[in-house]
Amino acid sequence: MLLAQIGAALLLAALALGLMSALVGFSSGYVQDPLLAPVARRAFYAMAALVVAASAVLIWALLSRDFALAYVTEHTDRALSLPLTAAAFYGGQEGSLLYWLLCVCVLGSVSLAAAAHLGVRLGAYATGFLALICVFFLIMLVLVETPFALLSVVPTDGLGLNPVLRDGGMLIHPPFMLAGFSSYAVPFSFAMATLLAGRQDAAWMRHTRRIALIGWGLQGVGLMLGMWWAYHVLGWGGYWGWDPVENVALLPWLATTAYLHSIQVQERRGQLRVWNLFLVILAFLLSIFGTYIVRSGIVASVHSFAVSPLGPWFYGFLAICVVASGVLLAWRGPMLKSAPLRSPISREGAYLAQNVIIVGITAAIFWGTVLPLVTGMFGTPLVVGAPYYDRAGAPLFVLLLLLLAIGPSVPWARAGRTWLRSLRWPLLALVGCLCVLLALGQRGAGPLIALPLLAAALAGSAMEFWRGGRYARRLGGGWPHSALRLARRRRRHYGAHLAHIGFIVAVVGIAGSHFWQSSAQVDLNPGQSVTVSGYHLVYQGLSQARVGDHLVTAAHLSLGDESLQPEQVQYASLGQQTLPRVAIRSTPWADLYLVLDGTSGQRASLTIFVNPLVTWIWVGIPVMVLGLILGNVGSPPPELETEPATLKRARPAVAHS
Amino acid sequence: MRWVLLGAVVVACLGYLIYSATGASAEYYVTMAQMRQHPPQGEVRVLGTVQGGIRTFDAGRGIEFTAAQGKDQLQVSYVGTMPEIFKPGVQVVVDGRPGANGVFVARSLQTKCPSKFTAATPAAG
Repeated sequence: MLLAQIGAALLLAALALGLMSALVGFSSGYVQDPLLAPVARRAFYAMAALVVAASAVLIWALLSRDFALAYVTEHTDRALSLPLTAAAFYGGQEGSLLYWLLCVCVLGSVSLAAAAHLGVRLGAYATGFLALICVFFLIMLVLVETPFALLSVVPTDGLGLNPVLRDGGMLIHPPFMLAGFSSYAVPFSFAMATLLAGRQDAAWMRHTRRIALIGWGLQGVGLMLGMWWAYHVLGWGGYWGWDPVENVALLPWLATTAYLHSIQVQERRGQLRVWNLFLVILAFLLSIFGTYIVRSGIVASVHSFAVSPLGPWFYGFLAICVVASGVLLAWRGPMLKSAPLRSPISREGAYLAQNVIIVGITAAIFWGTVLPLVTGMFGTPLVVGAPYYDRAGAPLFVLLLLLLAIGPSVPWARAGRTWLRSLRWPLLALVGCLCVLLALGQRGAGPLIALPLLAAALAGSAMEFWRGGRYARRLGGGWPHSALRLARRRRRHYGAHLAHIGFIVAVVGIAGSHFWQSSAQVDLNPGQSVTVSGYHLVYQGLSQARVGDHLVTAAHLSLGDESLQPEQVQYASLGQQTLPRVAIRSTPWADLYLVLDGTSGQRASLTIFVNPLVTWIWVGIPVMVLGLILGNVGSPPPELETEPATLKRARPAVAHS
Repeated sequence: MRWVLLGAVVVACLGYLIYSATGASAEYYVTMAQMRQHPPQGEVRVLGTVQGGIRTFDAGRGIEFTAAQGKDQLQVSYVGTMPEIFKPGVQVVVDGRPGANGVFVARSLQTKCPSKFTAATPAAG
């Protein structure tokens, strides 16, 4: 009871501080008052501290099972394990909003604390924008959906958690996803501040690059965990269903992927200034759009979130953000002059092409997601499924792979003959892979295009490490030592190539399971056997066991010496709800994926999938994140500090034009 | 000027790609009433709530059930992997086409899966 009052009071006080921070932030930025600007910042920190405290109160209420709070009753019960009870903090609608706000507060405070060198105006405006975003979330949490609502009658136990969600995946997938989603608010605020302040330089970008990287990494992990969880728990043999909720999670991540590449064009060449601002703004808008889609229930999804009154609020907030950022970009954009692109066959040209392709993929996915909304306005809504994404996405993805193979080796400014010569190894890998595939009897266009391109890209990145190793050998001072020194000095370069290798490995996994998945549905009596893609399975029989509140029916199959047990679990407490528990046998080549669909007597109905190369998805994405981390931990490497001469030369031109 | 032209070409290509992909694979998301009035030619998607009296055949692999949407009802038959949490009261999204004798033959059947700790089916609870 008392906890609810404390929590609500903390949120209310945070709202007041947030409003003050925004007001003082914008006004002190406008008059450039160096005494008032820190006041706005401190108000932001104070608000952040109160939000942290309110979060702690909610977690405490959950852990102490204070069923007076509606939130605690609705999302937990006494039987629920402690970790899952704590996870309910971000599991419910209201709690996830608070968690989102908490992430923005923490990341925002960190970036504001280090923003002193950006100047009074930029720092103050950034504080203002960040505070406004927090104010929106606080209004939601105070007025619309508060996690501290009280029940008039205190129940003795809660309603519990759906069994589908009683899984380790539930502990880690949402916090990563939401943290990544919320992080886009920080670069967005600094981008808006730099536009409002009319600044020409890239200080905002250098300042928020790390936050963008962290957000991108967190969301990348979140996406992978979601795929992993869907694959291992839901039992339909796949990991990505092109459902609206999955799509909207991917959209801001794609926009940020484009941004993290084009950042370098501005750093090195002073180009794409407006474009970078656009991408950062786009990523944030897409994250708000995603939240709107998910929370409003406006697009029919297989993920049924509780429809809540948040929908119109998010719609309004999204509209305000679109208008505000559009106006600022239209007003200040033309004043930002970028150096012209000298040759399209150059590193900057490759980055630009990559950006266009990724934004194209983003647009295609966006269109597929909003199609029912748009067509619904004029009549019967149209929907698209996986075939649409295959058709629209495949050509763009092939172009992306082509760029991945040749882009990283193109020199800046203008490419010459030396560069063409350096392409011979990737080309050799491409031809070699193509020959192997043809020799193996592959005739499908998909694998014959995608896999050789992946081989070429892998060869390109591997070459980079080999070349580095050869160079390090000449440096002297012992090879491993000098190689390590070289890697550390060119941290970003090698980190990026490692991330590319991770990406390639993950795409190999996606391609393998996409092109070569096979499945069979069989009904077996004990002693009968079935062969799917070379796997010979013998069905032994069924067994049943009662575990706690549920009944487990297991089918026993043997594959050579190994035994596999797909199960069906029936929950008596939940109206005989049954859940499949898949049996997966993973090898680097393929996953054997067994689902027990139903039983009659000793007869078992099974769906058997053979998913080639899936394991490489779970290997590749962590490698990608590892590359991101290794490339960016520690103090910034020298290549970040000193700007190349080309950029300095470009500057006066900017001032004159 | 050159860049504007190039940009226009890129946007046109992208637009065509998305347009053609939509045309080739979009299906109507209809209500049951619409489907009765205008029997669809191709595949459509329908949303409905599973009613009681689910009949299984083919050793539990195939199911036939009634889905309701407001006052409208539709008989649906489906053969394939059962989605998790299929039971009366759950909302399902089916893709398929109306077959003979008014039974809707579903090619795919998805239950709306509960997300975020919210109780999955408060109505059926």
